Amino acid sequence: MPLKFLSRRSVRALAVVTAGVAALVVAQRVYASDHQDTPETELNPRMDINDVYAFPGSSADRIALVVTTSSPIAGQSASFDPNLLYQIKIDNTGDAVEDLVFQVSFDAGVGAAQKYQIRGPIKPTMTGTKTMLEAGSAVLTGTVGSAAGSATGMQAFAGLRADPFVIDLEQFFNVIPDRRPSTGPLSVQNGPSASSFRTPGVDFLKPFNALAIAIELPKAMLQPSTAADAKFGVWSTISR
Amino acid sequence: MRFLSPRTLAVALALPVLAACSDNNNNGTTSPDTVRTFNQVERLGNPLVSEVFFAKRDHGLHNSTAPATDVVNGFGDKIKAFTNAFNRGPTIANTLAAVLVPDMLLVYPNRDPKTARWLSWALAAGYGGRTLNDDVVDAGLTAIFGKLLDANATVVTGLTSDNISTSTRTYLTTFPYLEAAR
Repeated sequence: MPLKFLSRRSVRALAVVTAGVAALVVAQRVYASDHQDTPETELNPRMDINDVYAFPGSSADRIALVVTTSSPIAGQSASFDPNLLYQIKIDNTGDAVEDLVFQVSFDAGVGAAQKYQIRGPIKPTMTGTKTMLEAGSAVLTGTVGSAAGSATGMQAFAGLRADPFVIDLEQFFNVIPDRRPSTGPLSVQNGPSASSFRTPGVDFLKPFNALAIAIELPKAMLQPSTAADAKFGVWSTISR
Repeated sequence: MRFLSPRTLAVALALPVLAACSDNNNNGTTSPDTVRTFNQVERLGNPLVSEVFFAKRDHGLHNSTAPATDVVNGFGDKIKAFTNAFNRGPTIANTLAAVLVPDMLLVYPNRDPKTARWLSWALAAGYGGRTLNDDVVDAGLTAIFGKLLDANATVVTGLTSDNISTSTRTYLTTFPYLEAAR
């Protein structure tokens, strides 16, 4: 059974109209696990979070947090949006409300001319979908493309890296056409609707880069409890 | 000499005032303001939750809300609706909804770091989190279309893997762990 959320007729009609144009478009944009998931983020790719990772750091008592944004990178000159506030949020009490946040902001500039500021982990003044910059918090400052901080304390990085996410995205959209972005080459059908993945698959995102934020720090700064089943939740947001 | 009309004069006088009152963050030359309120426009916790389980029309809801309201916003029901559309049965639907809502990447930092991988906290009492090497696409597809969560489920051939893995990448072993830009 084809996994169709759009009718085949509507997809074909869209494809016919746009195929000629799409064939001329260089694939400057690309889309992954949560890349380009709404028309709004398509309008501002730097407002898009692609993936969130949390894994053991350089030693057992440290943890690394990684967020990738802005996958549709058009070359190495891409920069973080200085008007946006990028955050990583931590719930360490089990109520799905952030108890700690990292706030990452950027000056204007491109590449190494752009500076980043990271505040936190700090208890936020506001929780939920509205946020204020915790201006009174200590700030770790660095240059985009370079690490800052201490390898034994909090260490940070922000800059352009290879997009780490792996998926046969083109075939994914042939299986579930509803999830297509509204613009760009993948907005139109490339090949027939499919009811299965292809063999071998294609590492569609391998050629592309993403803007990444990475933070590593002692895990006790996020969850001070040493209980065996102590836990915390992680998610990332972008606000404007 | 021509005199300006009252209306033109009023506009001319107003322009400098408006310019002085404008938000200097809109010119892209400064970092975010320290006094204003920011509004969330994007969020992500677990991979695949919004992109795979939610219909496109619901992605905006996910982006504009917080984990604390995921239950009341029916995110579990949205996940169940997706799996029900493929007749995957209540065991798979309920398990996925239970581990993915509220949508946070759960980490058990005092468990064995060697067990770190997406959803290992639920499947194997592991560290959880999500590593760069995790093939979350295959993990998700196997959970939905395989027997991982329901031994009695039928396997949907061709949908349990996208047949590509992270073996095509060489992530770094030191901070910041991500491969250099292409």
